[in-house]
Amino acid sequence: MFLTRSEYDRGVNTFSPEGRLFQVEYAIEAIKMGSTAIGIQTSEGVILAVEKRITSTLLEPSSIEKILEIDSHIGCAMSGLNADARTMIDHARVQAQNHTFVYDEPIKVESITQAVCDLALRFGEGAQGEESIMSRPFGVALLIAGCDENGPQLFHADPSGTFTKYQAKAIGSGSEGAQTELQENYHKSLTLKEAEVLSLKVLKQVMEEKVNSVNVQLCSVTPEKGYRLYTEEEVNEIISAI
Amino acid sequence: MISEPIPTAQPARQMANRFDPYEDNGGTTMALAGEDFCIVAADTRQSDGYHINCRYAPKAHQLSDKTVIGTSGFYADGICLVKRIKQRMEWYYHQHDKVMSTPALAQLLSVMLYQKRFFPYYCFTILGGLDEEGKGCVFDYDSVGNVERVKYQAEGSGKELLQPFLDSQIGLKNRATDDVLDLTEEKAIKIVKDAFSSVTERDIHTGDCVEIYIIRKDGIECEKYPLKRD
Amino acid sequence: MNTYPNPFSEAISYQRMEQYDQEHLESLSNISPMTRTQQPIVTGTSVLAVKYKDGIMMTTDCLASYGSLARFKNIERMIKVGNSTIIGASGDMSDFQYITYLMDKLMTKEYNANNGQPLAPENIYEYLSQVMYQRRNKFDPLWNALVVGGYQDGKSFLGYVNLRGTTYQSDTIATGYGAYIAQPLLRNAVEKKNGELFTEEEAKKLLDDCMRVLFYRDARSLNKLQRATVTAAGVTISEPYSLETEWGFAEHIRGYGA
Repeated sequence: MFLTRSEYDRGVNTFSPEGRLFQVEYAIEAIKMGSTAIGIQTSEGVILAVEKRITSTLLEPSSIEKILEIDSHIGCAMSGLNADARTMIDHARVQAQNHTFVYDEPIKVESITQAVCDLALRFGEGAQGEESIMSRPFGVALLIAGCDENGPQLFHADPSGTFTKYQAKAIGSGSEGAQTELQENYHKSLTLKEAEVLSLKVLKQVMEEKVNSVNVQLCSVTPEKGYRLYTEEEVNEIISAI
Repeated sequence: MISEPIPTAQPARQMANRFDPYEDNGGTTMALAGEDFCIVAADTRQSDGYHINCRYAPKAHQLSDKTVIGTSGFYADGICLVKRIKQRMEWYYHQHDKVMSTPALAQLLSVMLYQKRFFPYYCFTILGGLDEEGKGCVFDYDSVGNVERVKYQAEGSGKELLQPFLDSQIGLKNRATDDVLDLTEEKAIKIVKDAFSSVTERDIHTGDCVEIYIIRKDGIECEKYPLKRD
Repeated sequence: MNTYPNPFSEAISYQRMEQYDQEHLESLSNISPMTRTQQPIVTGTSVLAVKYKDGIMMTTDCLASYGSLARFKNIERMIKVGNSTIIGASGDMSDFQYITYLMDKLMTKEYNANNGQPLAPENIYEYLSQVMYQRRNKFDPLWNALVVGGYQDGKSFLGYVNLRGTTYQSDTIATGYGAYIAQPLLRNAVEKKNGELFTEEEAKKLLDDCMRVLFYRDARSLNKLQRATVTAAGVTISEPYSLETEWGFAEHIRGYGA
């Protein structure tokens, strides 16, 4: 792919003769360099787990946030250019709040995913009447987990603006290995407890460092409690169960 | 000592014959919520002062399988409001792949009315239907979007006559007898018919016909009941 | 001013116009907010229309008044739109002529679209209602009460819309002074027929009788009128004609004739 570089690389919105948008494809590549994030959907709720790359012993681990709350019933994990995710999550949060304001009900998980994806292709010159906000595609992929009237759900959104529903999904640098691992271990009757353990087990296998309560982040979204980020103690407990 | 008259602010010069964008076309609407059903009713007369413009200009509109809206006041605003709501429901359906629920509609309606706070829709709206649990629900509005969920409500030109009657017959307020109300559908429809016949007797803006929408979990039925035409 | 119930009377009274002129002069010396049509100037009086067996019948007189002055005595207050619709107008005549232009533009657009589906009376009525309502929203109303009549695919259509965008459809419609005097007569005639429709002759006589009464009692009317029909055969607007009138009775009424 990198060998076919041509003038079609330059315009962010220019198709190559083969019908490809290189900048979007490169953006997807950028995610493959990001830290690994995993999502597992069960009938009891959804688990999101991410690795934090502690690149220095002087780094304050709590300042790295890769799992964020969108609304009380929706959470989101990211991989890729973290800064880009801020724009998208800001947008998602506004959409969620606006929906509750106008309709007095929580927004559906699929709708919030769609709202985020609507933003993904608004780069470049900007279409007629629609203001573009980015000069290039987003370099981040999101795992959006939430619970609504259709039960617990997990969505994957990528820089091309495509979104797909998954039972279990891994993104980031370790995604290939992690996805195979998930495929082997996932089954429909997984409990939330089992999913917690599975998510860390898979992370452990793809991470270079040893898993501990500081270099991973974990959250659950359940119909009862909504979005909840796990404390270090809770993470430790799960690690010990691996 | 004679003091100077205190100068007072001059009133702003009035425009000669300033255009009044509003008209009052009258009409009475009401709704009541049962345990597993809801009734929305509105008369069909359209009037303008002492004129009867038309004997059949519907004021109640079905919005979905679970919701009916009734508007009285300025007819053109009512029609425009209903049109816009239907449009918003269509967009919502395509965006979220589901039909808007009655409580969601109730909130949307409040927002839409308030958006026109400084050039309001001059209409008095009642929304009736079934909520997500299948229970009857009624929402009552003023013209700028204040909303309240209630058990029963009357609005429009006959509200002052109708509401006390409903308070007595459905709310069982301030009664000498202490009988228990079993608000069945049949009983409710009878109360609605009597209510409108009585209002028609005294309110000149109400009459001709009343459309009674009965909202059940398996669908909506509309019954027309003739009223006096005088 | 408050005994004469013509809704336009207050606006077109001569006193008002003087007042308007006075204020207009004043406004030259101090900056005032932009103002738009706030009153009708040259006005037409009632429009009457009924549904009958073959379609719609509508009448108007040929007068356009300037206040109490009978200013233009050969004005057509009905226009044909397409081949199955007619619009009759009371109120401001310049606004009506603008509506004529709008309808012309609409029909030209339709002709060019050439989609083999002519606009039905209902469609034209809806369009017109939206124009009227949107103009009132801009506080720049078209100062008219309009009646739209149509006949297409075996169905009669009769609708009303006014300067505020208020709409209704009915078997009989009368605007302006006619709403007070003719509408009761028209409704009475319909109810006597007990669900049956008028024949052409009955409809003609009914409308002529109503127009005669209006000519007797409406000071802004003229005994020169036109009758239009919309039927399966299309739209026809008659040449102006007059009605037989009898003023002998006035001799015996003090303050009327004698």
